[in-house]
Amino acid sequence: MQPLAGYVFLGTAMFVLGVFTMVTRKNAIYVLMGAELILNAAALNFVAFARYMGNRLDGQMFAIFIIILAAAEAAVALGIVLQIHHHFPSIDVSKPDRLGD
Amino acid sequence: MESFSFWFFGGCTLIGSLLVALCPKLVHSAFSLVLALIGVAGLYWGLGADFLGGVQLLVYVGGITILFIYGIMLTPKGATKWSLGSLLFPGVIAVVPLCVMLHLAWKGLESVIKPVDAGVPQPTVDAIGRGFLNREEYLIPFELASLVLLAALVGSVYLARRKKES
Repeated sequence: MQPLAGYVFLGTAMFVLGVFTMVTRKNAIYVLMGAELILNAAALNFVAFARYMGNRLDGQMFAIFIIILAAAEAAVALGIVLQIHHHFPSIDVSKPDRLGD
Repeated sequence: MESFSFWFFGGCTLIGSLLVALCPKLVHSAFSLVLALIGVAGLYWGLGADFLGGVQLLVYVGGITILFIYGIMLTPKGATKWSLGSLLFPGVIAVVPLCVMLHLAWKGLESVIKPVDAGVPQPTVDAIGRGFLNREEYLIPFELASLVLLAALVGSVYLARRKKES
């Protein structure tokens, strides 16, 4: 079997690149894409560990729920982005810095 | 065979994620994200999670990416300009955990977690379906997930609705 370390390293690389994307970019769409990378890294780790603990199904179930929540998150987040775009002329995440008014 | 699929799809995932993080143009990043997600689906198949790989392709590659490409229409033209000062801190954030993980993965992981080889994985669709509808396993989370999806759908439609000018 392929050693588990390869999957773990791949998951870490995806997570780190997702954090990097979220930190460096100002565009809201980039921030969402970074979040998707992070969620995928977590799901990949779940599935890899489940496979190497004797083909258990629990990890795959967790990954399915992660995908469900990611879909819900993407829909709601894009609705919010649409409203930000409506209020300010841009979707720069540093623009909306005042709650209220 | 398993080794080849790991290196191929793992390479797709890694290159895709790198391009997402580093491409100056948003459209290129979005399509690199598609590459990375397809790579993850391939890795799931290599790990014996056939149903999960299909779900990944359908939901992520088919659905969420379309949402992103729709979101790109809101973005003005232009490319991110990288400068050394803006990259230094995020670069450190990125490289330090990667090095720590590389060290752990090569040195200590196999001694902490004993891999159990349970043979070639069987098809999982049947077991997952029974797990979802079994009260002692995942019935409650399954129903709650459907509630969450419904709420998210209604909520996103409400959020995205254009308010009346008053």
